[in-house]
Amino acid sequence: MNRVELRNISKSFGGIPALKNVTLKVLPGEIHALVGENGAGKSTLMKILSGAYTKDAGQIFFDDSEVQIRNTHDSRKLGIGIIYQEFSLVPELSVAENVFLNRLGLTGFWMKLGRMKKRAEELINSIGFCIDPSLRAGDLSIAQQQIVEIAKALSEQVRVLILDEPSAVLGPQEIQKLFDTLQKLKKEDVAIIYISHHLSEIFQIADRITVLKDGTSSMSLPVSETDRDSVIRLMLGRSLDTMYPLRDSNIGEEVLKAVDISHGEKVKGVSLAVKKGEILGIAGLVGSGRSETARVIFAADKSEKGRIFLSGKEIQLSSPRKAVKMGIGMVPEDRKQHGVILSLTVKENISLTDLKGISDHFGFIKAKKESNNTTELIRKLRIKTENENQETGKLSGGNQQKVVLAKWLNRNCRVIIIDEPTRGVDVGAKVEIYDLINELSRKGVAIIVISSETSELIGICDRIIVMRKGQIQGELTKKEFSEEDILRLSIGANEHTARNFKR
Amino acid sequence: MNSKMRLKRYWQFVIKYNTVFIFLIMLVVSALVSDVFFTSSNLFNLIRQVTPVGIISMGMLLVILTGGIDLSVGSVVAMAGVLCALFTKTLPLPIAIIASLACGLLVGSLSGYLVSVHKMAPFIATLALMSIVRGLGFIFSKGAPILVNENASALSDFGSGSFLGFPNPAFVLLIVFAITAVLLKYNVFGRIVIAIGSNEEAVRLSGIKVSAYKFSVYAIAGGLSAVAGIITTARTAVGSPVMGVGMELDVIATVVIGGASLSGGKGSAVDTLLGVLILGMIGNIMNLLNIPAYSQQVIKGLIIIFAVLLQRFQVDKN
Repeated sequence: MNRVELRNISKSFGGIPALKNVTLKVLPGEIHALVGENGAGKSTLMKILSGAYTKDAGQIFFDDSEVQIRNTHDSRKLGIGIIYQEFSLVPELSVAENVFLNRLGLTGFWMKLGRMKKRAEELINSIGFCIDPSLRAGDLSIAQQQIVEIAKALSEQVRVLILDEPSAVLGPQEIQKLFDTLQKLKKEDVAIIYISHHLSEIFQIADRITVLKDGTSSMSLPVSETDRDSVIRLMLGRSLDTMYPLRDSNIGEEVLKAVDISHGEKVKGVSLAVKKGEILGIAGLVGSGRSETARVIFAADKSEKGRIFLSGKEIQLSSPRKAVKMGIGMVPEDRKQHGVILSLTVKENISLTDLKGISDHFGFIKAKKESNNTTELIRKLRIKTENENQETGKLSGGNQQKVVLAKWLNRNCRVIIIDEPTRGVDVGAKVEIYDLINELSRKGVAIIVISSETSELIGICDRIIVMRKGQIQGELTKKEFSEEDILRLSIGANEHTARNFKR
Repeated sequence: MNSKMRLKRYWQFVIKYNTVFIFLIMLVVSALVSDVFFTSSNLFNLIRQVTPVGIISMGMLLVILTGGIDLSVGSVVAMAGVLCALFTKTLPLPIAIIASLACGLLVGSLSGYLVSVHKMAPFIATLALMSIVRGLGFIFSKGAPILVNENASALSDFGSGSFLGFPNPAFVLLIVFAITAVLLKYNVFGRIVIAIGSNEEAVRLSGIKVSAYKFSVYAIAGGLSAVAGIITTARTAVGSPVMGVGMELDVIATVVIGGASLSGGKGSAVDTLLGVLILGMIGNIMNLLNIPAYSQQVIKGLIIIFAVLLQRFQVDKN
């Protein structure tokens, strides 16, 4: 018996088919992985199941009887819970209110805040975390928000749970706890659909795997009967020889040095330096202060103390504008919130960092120059877009990320900080982004890469520093790279090493 | 299937250019229900009536594009009008005009300062200024209308005169409109204003001084409100502290009818101008039909709802 069967589902947007005759069957008590490149139709398919979109054609069966899912209310009544890739928390409300958001009115006219808080806390504890339920959701870190999302989905009796890229913002420890929760749900006969780009996770946890490609072919097989390479081949339609570029670093003099910078509880006296042509990685768990360190260097957040030197000269960075002027660029962690402007065109996004370069003294835009500039970057970065006037929101995650990179290629930056270069990016685009970072460093740009994916850092960096609780916990040179050591430093397991690096 | 698709495409076309269609529908309806509508004297009147709102709407459009709002515009109209009339008594006309214009700019700059530097919510900052400036208008005029001085007759000559069959002030509107349209489409300024309304933080992280741009849109809106105030005073030869009461709502309505999003990032000068004409026509035709003023307000509100509903279709399609 299938818990859920989506049969021959089709859906198109404005005449462009996103799904064509896709079938997916999920058993109760099974963790079913759904994989595919960005734009393959995974999220669309799940949104149809959750009622966020309506299907154009096809049937949906629940426990083998056909059901109609016209809206999210229908799917909730069936016991379908979904955790979206984009968060749906209300930033102004408390954690507890968010968890019970869809039932605020149902407990009677008055909200029983105390009970709600207690219940929310229990839920969050039951999945292995600890978040104060009276905190404002907007004040939580992205990882914590994700955890609240999970608690929200589990606050109701779910029979099907859909997770869309749940691990993208979580650190290794948090992912492990998530997996424990999923195993528990599995024993309770919940059918779990798990979308992820991280194949290693899928092989760790999933029972069966369905590969979507271009919204058309779908192929399901037990995880035990396949391996990583064949899944990648199915996803891409070709095999992937090497993920990471060959690195022949040509490291020059020091370009950027930060000494003892601090910002609240998140950054506590961090010192680091990066050289010309070097790729420096910053590893650490979510919340270890990696991104905050980057934001302080870029002056997106004000530094409380500490000094920053550029080519040996001390500089005062008071705003991102100053940083950009000095030749520092930053690709932010949260692409959709901070990286690109989804409603603007690819061209407008790319030009945003160099409007002076494409306009005259009175600010009038030289249309031809701008077009040439951007089409060249689009070609160089192989951004898949109809043309430079395409709306950026219509591109896939990987291509949006390339647009953010293009913004900084547009200027001749001396330092580029890249926070999560490949989050939510499919395998094909990942490789292209790695190549691009490599090429930039070869041209002499000093690069700082922050990533939750340790293998990625090991693959592209020359040197890695590991952060924990706002401080640098250790530094590894290329020869010393190992996932175990980085993880150990991140969680502070090795007291000996930790002590060596404490100031 | 094929004809259905074609129908769908027509419908999408209508929705995309909804402001144009509403405008055309209004024209046709107006012509049908009143045979006076298409007379030159009525059209002349219509254009003269919409000019002040039209001029301010361009400033309001800029403010709304950044995701803000300016409620003080109506009060600035009154204050600038009063000041201009007062100044004509002691100062040469050009200086009187420039000085009252500067006062409008100053009010706008103050809003801009509160919003961009102190991160005050635009609604609150401009609500406060709306009250302050209205009060100032009364204080300066001691509560009575101020007559424009006789030796400043050039002002009223301009205000009530016409050129090539159009009222003179309409040319001011035309210039303001043209500059706004060009700025939004071809200039870095417009590009950044739209970008700020779409995603302020992304703009800031691209190394752009967001506060400077937010400041300037309010300053511009204040300046243009003063222009509208001076023009109204020029037309009537009186600066009155009760001018422009409730005008901010009309101005916001025209921008919204023109399809701009109050959350920012979406809107165009052409559509806003059409919005101005649509709102003006609604008032005009109802006057011609002798619909009582109270019913006019109800009908005006309903038409605004209808116009914005039509735009909702567009959003939902996406």
